[in-house]
Amino acid sequence: MDAKQPIAVKAHDLLTVSPSPHARRKITTASVMQDVLIALLPATIWGIYVFGLRAALVVLTCVVSCVAFEALTQIALRRTVTVADCSAAVTGLLLGLNLSPAVPFYVPVVGSAFAIVVVKQLFGGLGKNIMNPALAARVFLMMAWAGQMSLYPAAYDRVGPGVDAVASATPLVALKQGVLPEASLFELFLGRVGGCIGEVSVLMLLIGGVYLLVRRVISWQIPVSFLGTVALLTLLFPQGGIDNVTFMLTSLCSGGLMLGAFFMATDYVTSPVTSVGRLIYGVGCGALVVFLRYFSGYNEGVSFAILIMNSLVWYLDMATKPRIFGKARREKQQKG
Amino acid sequence: MKFTFRGGTHLREHKDTASLATVRLPDPKTVAIPLSQHIGAHATPTVAVGDTVLVGQVIGEVTEGLGCPVHASISGTVKEIRKRDTVQGFLVQDIVIENDGRHAFCESVKPWHKPLAETTAEEIVSIVRNAGISGLGGATFPTYAKLQSAIGKVHTVIVNCAECEPYITANHRLLLERGETVVEGLEIVMHAVGAQTGILAVEDNKPDAIKLLQGAIAARGDQRMRVCVMKTKYPQGDERQLIYSLTKKEVPFGKLPADVGCVILNAETSSAISRAFYRGLPLVSRIVTVAGDCIREPKNVRAPLGVSYTELIEFCGGYVKPLKKLVSGGPMMGQAQWDLHAPVTKGTAALLAFSEEYDRINTEYSACLHCGMCVAHCPMHLMPNYLAQFTREHKYEEAERMGVMSCVECGTCAYNCPAGVQIVQYIRTTKQALRKKR
Repeated sequence: MDAKQPIAVKAHDLLTVSPSPHARRKITTASVMQDVLIALLPATIWGIYVFGLRAALVVLTCVVSCVAFEALTQIALRRTVTVADCSAAVTGLLLGLNLSPAVPFYVPVVGSAFAIVVVKQLFGGLGKNIMNPALAARVFLMMAWAGQMSLYPAAYDRVGPGVDAVASATPLVALKQGVLPEASLFELFLGRVGGCIGEVSVLMLLIGGVYLLVRRVISWQIPVSFLGTVALLTLLFPQGGIDNVTFMLTSLCSGGLMLGAFFMATDYVTSPVTSVGRLIYGVGCGALVVFLRYFSGYNEGVSFAILIMNSLVWYLDMATKPRIFGKARREKQQKG
Repeated sequence: MKFTFRGGTHLREHKDTASLATVRLPDPKTVAIPLSQHIGAHATPTVAVGDTVLVGQVIGEVTEGLGCPVHASISGTVKEIRKRDTVQGFLVQDIVIENDGRHAFCESVKPWHKPLAETTAEEIVSIVRNAGISGLGGATFPTYAKLQSAIGKVHTVIVNCAECEPYITANHRLLLERGETVVEGLEIVMHAVGAQTGILAVEDNKPDAIKLLQGAIAARGDQRMRVCVMKTKYPQGDERQLIYSLTKKEVPFGKLPADVGCVILNAETSSAISRAFYRGLPLVSRIVTVAGDCIREPKNVRAPLGVSYTELIEFCGGYVKPLKKLVSGGPMMGQAQWDLHAPVTKGTAALLAFSEEYDRINTEYSACLHCGMCVAHCPMHLMPNYLAQFTREHKYEEAERMGVMSCVECGTCAYNCPAGVQIVQYIRTTKQALRKKR
């Protein structure tokens, strides 16, 4: 190109005449979803390390079937195929991390179909679903295959394909019975216990959670109020005569709490947009978790707690509207 | 502690032209001066085709209603009075003047005959009106009307030197090169409206300008004036946010800054008032930041009003990449243009030329994710995601209850939206629908 010659703009070159603003931050739906995938990586790798190749296959099945179901549903419903935004992959990964490594392979496929087709696409696709697709699918699977879904192999217990796992008592089962789990607190924190693929290692989930906080993908309100409420309630009301602090720490490090607080409850679509709303939502999740763990027939309550709070998001948003700049908090009813 | 407000966002600044001295554009062969450059009545021409005009001569006058006169920016002959479509969607009359190359001033261009202390408020208002000064920040409200309504009512005059929009450095350069005229303008306005406090509000990304202004005030020994250093955050220069940052008072919905005792002037407006008072110069030129990734040599140019965009861009070396979008004003609130030969007006604070690469920001990536970024950053504390949703569902009354009319259209929500939703456009649609119903 001749450096001296200015580039002429011809009359027929079309200019964009769009409304302001003409600048945007370098952040897209896909970049947000990719950040979530990156943040889940440590927990995923740990899960595969502890439970072996089969865990990897379960997670992979979930991710692949979620993406496939998303594409197929969108084609069938004549919508634009948007698998490139990675949101289906996030749902798939979350669902996979929420399953026992010992589940038969039709379970993740059916779960993915339920998450993507029923919970997400039939409600209008990304941004329109009322409940967290991965959690709703997990609860659906728990009801459909109660036996398979609650069969957790112990850590380092490799399960071959087609071989039934030997059930091990997860820390939550012990807590439910009012005794401390066999695994030490350190092992719970590190993740050398039985459980779902992605929920066992508190350490790895914290690394991912901090990554999301630092990248400002999630805000602190939900995880802090969620975990804070669980901590407070378990500290005040320990079960089975265990000392308060030990019971609290064991409760925080058991089950799907960390995965739920950092990755499930913070799902944009199904959590409030205001800071105050997020705090209330987190407190509600935490209180429900403790309530369900203490009084329900299940050992774990994180999925149910978050799903219940999901259904209240609209009301929380409306109840916690910020005060508009230059206006009183409650505008008097306008007359004529 | 720096002055700031809640909400808003730190933008990528792109203020690369800040170190370049302002260059004067040589008088162009012709100028086309629009008879309407801001809200209010259109001016009617006071010259006819064939007349000879001089720099600073009135060529359009408004006899009734809000508006101020229009002046010739070069000397020469009136060639044509023609009609042209504007981006705002109405027809405007342009007076086309052919340059005679003399740059001869009209005899009306002479300093005000009395010292400031003996000049009355009404006289200052009429000087400002006769000089055709309107707000040079972009909104271009006629300054005389602002002053008139503020006389005796305000205690603080704020000169807005925040310049919070990316790319634009016109005010920054003005402060560095003619900072004293900005301070003089502030003094004149304080005298006119009877204010006891004068504030020069500068964002902390202009430390050199802050130092210079502090020096200028110290040299004058005026105890009533001070420089306030603001946190660099968009939209710090929005008058409501600016007043809140400085005084912690919120301008109530539907009210004006004067209702909380403040009047705000743009830095260049203040300088223009000083030039009108001390030199008698009407507003015939302004500093325009010409920048953007398509411009070969981005510059700050003092351009006569009425020069065409194309001439200005050619003065800056032309385009290095094929142009896709030309914005008059800043990237956050400026207007995309479709006419490359449209003239520079009083409201043209910047001319930004962007290539296709940059233009891709207008893609909508997905539906709203409900992430709450817009809520967290809205300086008016609205919930833009719901406002956009209500527009899509034609629930305009619902949006009104959520405060859509408070929106200042600063664009912070859309800037931060990961899904690329055109939130501001949705909000404008609702506002328009609501206005039509009344």
